[in-house]
Amino acid sequence: MTVLTIDHVAVGYANSLIVEDLSVSIPKGKITTIIGPNGCGKSTLLKAISRVLKTQSGAVYLDGRAIHQLQTKEVAKRMAILPQSANAPGGLTVFELVSYGRFPHQGGFGTLKKEDYEHINWAIFVTGLNEFKDRSVEALSGGQRQRVWIAMALAQGTEILILDEPTTYLDLAHQLEVLILLQRLNEEEGRTIVMVLHDLNHASRFSHNMISMKNGTLIKEGSPEEVMTCLNLQSVFNIDARMTTCPFSKNPICLSYQLNQKNE
Amino acid sequence: MKEQTYMTNSQRKSMRKNLFIIGILCLLIVIVFMISMNTGFIRLSPLEVIQTLFGSGTEKQHLILFEFRLPRIIIAVLVGMGLAVSGCVLQGISQNALADPGILGINAGAGLAVMLFISFFPSTTAVPVFLLPILAFTGAGITAIIIYALSYKRNEGISPMRLILTGVAIAAGISSAMIVLTLRLSPDNYQFVATWLAGSIWGSNWKFVLSLLPWIVVLIPFIFSKARVLNVLNLGDLTATGLGASIEKERRVLLAAAVGLAGASVSISGGIGFVGLIGPHLARQLVGSRHQYVIPTAALTGGLLVLIADTIGRWILQPSEIPAGIVVAVIGAPYFLYLLTRIKD
Amino acid sequence: MSTPAEESAEIETLEEIKKHSHPLIAIVILFGGMTALLFAIGLSISLGAADIKLATVWTAVFNFNPEITSHQIIRDIRMPRVLGAAMVGSCFAVAGALMQGMTRNPLADSGLLGLNAGASFMLALCFAFFPGLPYMYLIMFSFLGAGLGVLIVYGVGSLSRGGLTPIRLVLAGAAVSALLGALSEGIALYFQIGQDLAFWYAGGVSGTKWINLQIMAPWIIVAMIGAVILSRSITLLSLGEEVAIGLGQKTKTIKLFGMIIVLVLAGTAVSVVGAVGFVGLIVPHLTRFLIGHDYRWIIPCSIVLGGLLVVLADLAARMINPPYETPIGALIALIGVPFFLYLARKGGKEL
Repeated sequence: MTVLTIDHVAVGYANSLIVEDLSVSIPKGKITTIIGPNGCGKSTLLKAISRVLKTQSGAVYLDGRAIHQLQTKEVAKRMAILPQSANAPGGLTVFELVSYGRFPHQGGFGTLKKEDYEHINWAIFVTGLNEFKDRSVEALSGGQRQRVWIAMALAQGTEILILDEPTTYLDLAHQLEVLILLQRLNEEEGRTIVMVLHDLNHASRFSHNMISMKNGTLIKEGSPEEVMTCLNLQSVFNIDARMTTCPFSKNPICLSYQLNQKNE
Repeated sequence: MKEQTYMTNSQRKSMRKNLFIIGILCLLIVIVFMISMNTGFIRLSPLEVIQTLFGSGTEKQHLILFEFRLPRIIIAVLVGMGLAVSGCVLQGISQNALADPGILGINAGAGLAVMLFISFFPSTTAVPVFLLPILAFTGAGITAIIIYALSYKRNEGISPMRLILTGVAIAAGISSAMIVLTLRLSPDNYQFVATWLAGSIWGSNWKFVLSLLPWIVVLIPFIFSKARVLNVLNLGDLTATGLGASIEKERRVLLAAAVGLAGASVSISGGIGFVGLIGPHLARQLVGSRHQYVIPTAALTGGLLVLIADTIGRWILQPSEIPAGIVVAVIGAPYFLYLLTRIKD
Repeated sequence: MSTPAEESAEIETLEEIKKHSHPLIAIVILFGGMTALLFAIGLSISLGAADIKLATVWTAVFNFNPEITSHQIIRDIRMPRVLGAAMVGSCFAVAGALMQGMTRNPLADSGLLGLNAGASFMLALCFAFFPGLPYMYLIMFSFLGAGLGVLIVYGVGSLSRGGLTPIRLVLAGAAVSALLGALSEGIALYFQIGQDLAFWYAGGVSGTKWINLQIMAPWIIVAMIGAVILSRSITLLSLGEEVAIGLGQKTKTIKLFGMIIVLVLAGTAVSVVGAVGFVGLIVPHLTRFLIGHDYRWIIPCSIVLGGLLVVLADLAARMINPPYETPIGALIALIGVPFFLYLARKGGKEL
């Protein structure tokens, strides 16, 4: 089952195309991770999927309907986005910021209803932010702040979650916590998750489906076993990688690597 | 209410605190209102004021209060509200702390229109008072439209940064046009224009109240209903889109509302631009950054500020008057500076 | 504190800046601009109520003969005026570039430090209470006023807990400008001197005498050299406070020196011509647009381009409607506004 279809999409900024003619589909109820070197167009592709950038040609389809023709609020009820770097305005508490995640579900003056409170409190709880609920967002550490933004995306209560590098700013344990949380949301509630990760081993361990990109084009798409190969990593990152198997998840992981001599 | 059982204690506390602050501001407005009714060439005791308000004063008292002081006070409050809320919206959508109605060229446009009129029809010593607000409003509106058109790009729409830069450029252009015009004015006309530009509530007349009131009554509640949108826009374009706000459309609508409010206010009061800058800042200091509270608080602070300024301006150099715009800056700026030293970023 | 990832990203942007600055273009602009400036100065001296040939200008400068009237006109009236214009333009432009770099705000110029408002406040006081004060004193008081404005803004910044952050600087500057502006407006209204003030400002650089130039030049030259020395640090500061500290910059000292330089440059310029601050806003934008983001090139090029702009504007001010002078601020806006609009459309986030 496909939930998002990217159909011959070309997208970029004012006078430069970053992604040219890319087609790929995102399976429903799975975790899909996009990997690739800096500047390969991962974030740009995510922005196109999340309708922040308009495609210059081609289209993104959500359940078969072009995303730009749908009401943006309707899309927001089904799809939440965590951008790479988000800035909170001063003076907001954690609870208040997370409560903004209910925006697409509210109408009129937007007093919070029982259901909203449930979503917000649940999101705060699963991201482990309960004790910070009434603290000001500015007073938190980088990692805590990142979790607040994740909580906001969760409070949106959508079946699809799109996250651009959700583990940046987090320490080892918190990185894993976030990924395990996403895994749980996927397993228990069948949510579709699309994210960009820089850590290949995390990508391999937690995804069902991986997309590797370079220079705005798709290099290889498939299961971690298919994508995490020496050959593919060489063509995507230009590295010479030694692969082994993750003792926990039995997925292929990269033990260590060096820069590829031939092409340097 | 049943929903509120979901709030934690401290949330309930902060809500109560915010409502309390709003209450205090209302109370202050009432107090200053009473003082202001008393202020003027002819002194009236508070009791006389109340008596007259309820219809049992002398005819002379009645005339002073209802025909001179009351409309002026109401205009002061309305103008302050309009400018502060307009500033609130502009700071919200541009995410720039320096934004105020001035960046949309509203003050400059209104000023230029007035000045042009007086330069080319200097013979009219008694300038038709009802023509000026209309001229000023037209000037403000045209300038705002020009700025919007110049910063609009077909594929990208309006970027806040481009809007601000365009606004600054146009306002600078208009200001220098005004310098040229200034040199051509006769001293009498110059004095009139300068007073107008400095921001004074000179239209103490019920007709002005009626012409301003609809804008305030319609637009402020409308903007208040968009409080959540402003909250979300504050998070940046990316997040706002993700949350399902149609940013381009919302921005356009909010801009139009801000221009309407500020244009209507400026057309009656001249340039009291500083209120639009500090009103929202003061409000955020008091109640945090959620627009559900910021908007009403900014409206009240703005109204209070202009009312106090106008009262002081009438009282301090009796029988001549100091334009409210000057007093606003003289009392507002030091307080604002004090605040700046207190707050963390 | 910024994380290593952030820092490396910002150091990457530093590399970007190096890559995107164009030293070659900068050198071309520097020398081309200088030639154009010299030519404009010559032209400006030769044109006027009494037309003088360029050759005469040349002999008047290098082979002065006090017997010839045209030589006298050149020496006593036109030369100081033109040099004053060039100086004022350079001052505003460099001060603006420093301000934009230090505050990371593309809207910043020297006006933000409360300079313009301070100077016009003092001027209003002088006009109100000491009418008929000689020109030299007026300039001195203006400069004091500019200093007063800066002092308040800087004082507010250093009194506050978090130190002088760019956003606080910008807000304090706006508030101080509003305050001093309102006070001078009040004074002008009460004493009915607003139009006199306007005439003073409209006069532009016309009143400049050799003696003024002699007094101001040493200060300005020292400040300009200081600005060039600071320029590398300003480039780093324009990447953000944390990066600059991370790269070993003493940001507080740099900001203090930067501010002093801005005060000297813009203070002098404001007292001579009044608030034509728009030069300080557009010239750095233009320079960045042409040569990229490296302040080591931006500052020298701003000196040249700023001077050129004001000399041309002053020339136009005299030529448009002789013998009357068009206010120079209006002319600069006339050139500057369309250009600035173009930049805003083109870039939008240039810094």
